[in-house]
Amino acid sequence: MNESWLEVSDENVNVEEIMRQIRERVARRSGATLPDEENPEAAAEALWKEMIGNGEGGLTPGQHVPIRQRDCDIVPRYYVIDWRIPILGPIHAVVRRIINAEIRRYLFPSLEKQSRFNRQALRAMASLSQENARLRQKIEELERASSGPL
Amino acid sequence: MQVHQFHPTVSYGDAIGDQIQSLQHLLRRMGHRSEIFCEQLPIHFQGRVQQIAQYARCSSPANVLLLHFSLGYSPKVMAWLKSVPDRKVLVYHNITPHAYFSGVNDVYLEAAQAGREQLDQLAALTQAGWGDSTFNCQELAERGWTRLGVLPIIFDPRRYAVRPDRQVLKRWQGGVNVLFVGRVSPNKRFEDLILAFHYLKRVRPDARLLLVGSARGMEPYLEFLQGLAKRLRLSDVVFTGHVSTEQLAAYYRCASVYLSMSEHEGFGVPLLESMYFGVPIVAYKASAVPETLGGGGMLVTRKDYASVAELIGLLLEDRNWQARIVARQRERLRDFLPQRVEERLRDLLHSLEA
Repeated sequence: MNESWLEVSDENVNVEEIMRQIRERVARRSGATLPDEENPEAAAEALWKEMIGNGEGGLTPGQHVPIRQRDCDIVPRYYVIDWRIPILGPIHAVVRRIINAEIRRYLFPSLEKQSRFNRQALRAMASLSQENARLRQKIEELERASSGPL
Repeated sequence: MQVHQFHPTVSYGDAIGDQIQSLQHLLRRMGHRSEIFCEQLPIHFQGRVQQIAQYARCSSPANVLLLHFSLGYSPKVMAWLKSVPDRKVLVYHNITPHAYFSGVNDVYLEAAQAGREQLDQLAALTQAGWGDSTFNCQELAERGWTRLGVLPIIFDPRRYAVRPDRQVLKRWQGGVNVLFVGRVSPNKRFEDLILAFHYLKRVRPDARLLLVGSARGMEPYLEFLQGLAKRLRLSDVVFTGHVSTEQLAAYYRCASVYLSMSEHEGFGVPLLESMYFGVPIVAYKASAVPETLGGGGMLVTRKDYASVAELIGLLLEDRNWQARIVARQRERLRDFLPQRVEERLRDLLHSLEA
């Protein structure tokens, strides 16, 4: 606790003295904490796990499933509307962009939903595939133990 | 020599868009012909930004093409880059490690992963790699770049010469306002700001936490943060969402202290904004943050929330200390003014010739 955790590039500032004052104040205030008060760090961690997950909800590499993660996303994110004709081109592009924006408004939520589903399906398949491999290994071990196919 | 720039798209108000426009201004002032090329042409930039299809007209092996890179290029852009004979330089603004987006946004997660994979391909396509910071350059070095250089973000004070929004000033001026500016993203560790604020409320019950920045695409994370503030019974945590430049200036004017708990920043433009608006900075020492601060502000090396809160409390009690910090920060800000960066840019371009 005594190690320096504060860096101030000002020779007029006595970092040691500031840290001493901080330690004193923290000690004084921690005594004033109510006994039934929830630990804020623990509350944050619990809420993160509850609302976001513990990181295992992330995409599992398709080691056992021959589908790439990025193929799950069916939203056309690289669709570009550009033009080459000097005068009519920009007008044409504006019209196309307006139409595109209108289509996106109702189509994209469905596509995003489908993409989310695809990712969840990939995760489920990867998980089942891993479970399958684990069970197969277990069967092989049992077969070896009984010296022949079960 | 012609020095052109490319980025998939350009917009006002984001760090990369502003940097591209500031660089174009500098390059033209230095006597270079300089145009901006995009994949998706923004309608409101018509005449000032051109499509990559038009690049063929000025393409030459004698040119330098600056490729701004922050999230990843489309397959079409990657194919185009392979066909362009110009001397290409990657300007790396950094990519947030994909793990931060796990459970929050799968699209960002995949884009961040793909972007890092593209870095390996781009190493073979470019002559040199420039980063906003040494921190960014280190990653390029790890990925095979040998000719590296730091080209910092240009801070143009004219951009902030606006009248601060009156409504924001009226609502928040006075009292203790702890400010953080940045997109609501898990790498910026907003939960740590809320935790530090929880302890600060014991020190300064009148304190508010103003969190300025868009949460678009990060809705699950925002819900978590709002849930955390509610669980800790903190009613003075304010999420503003996206703000205009006038509103941003007003929030800085209202701020008593700028607190950053971010774990991953390729540069950290809001740190410069805090320096400009005279707001003392307390920041967690991580990624490019200490480099950008360059001796300005105060760095904490441990996330001891109670101690951070007491540190802010002590700082708020001592006006002289605040003034010294602000003066040092202003001194540091000079390194990012256009004149200083122009010298750096000149040296970097000269090194390409060599």
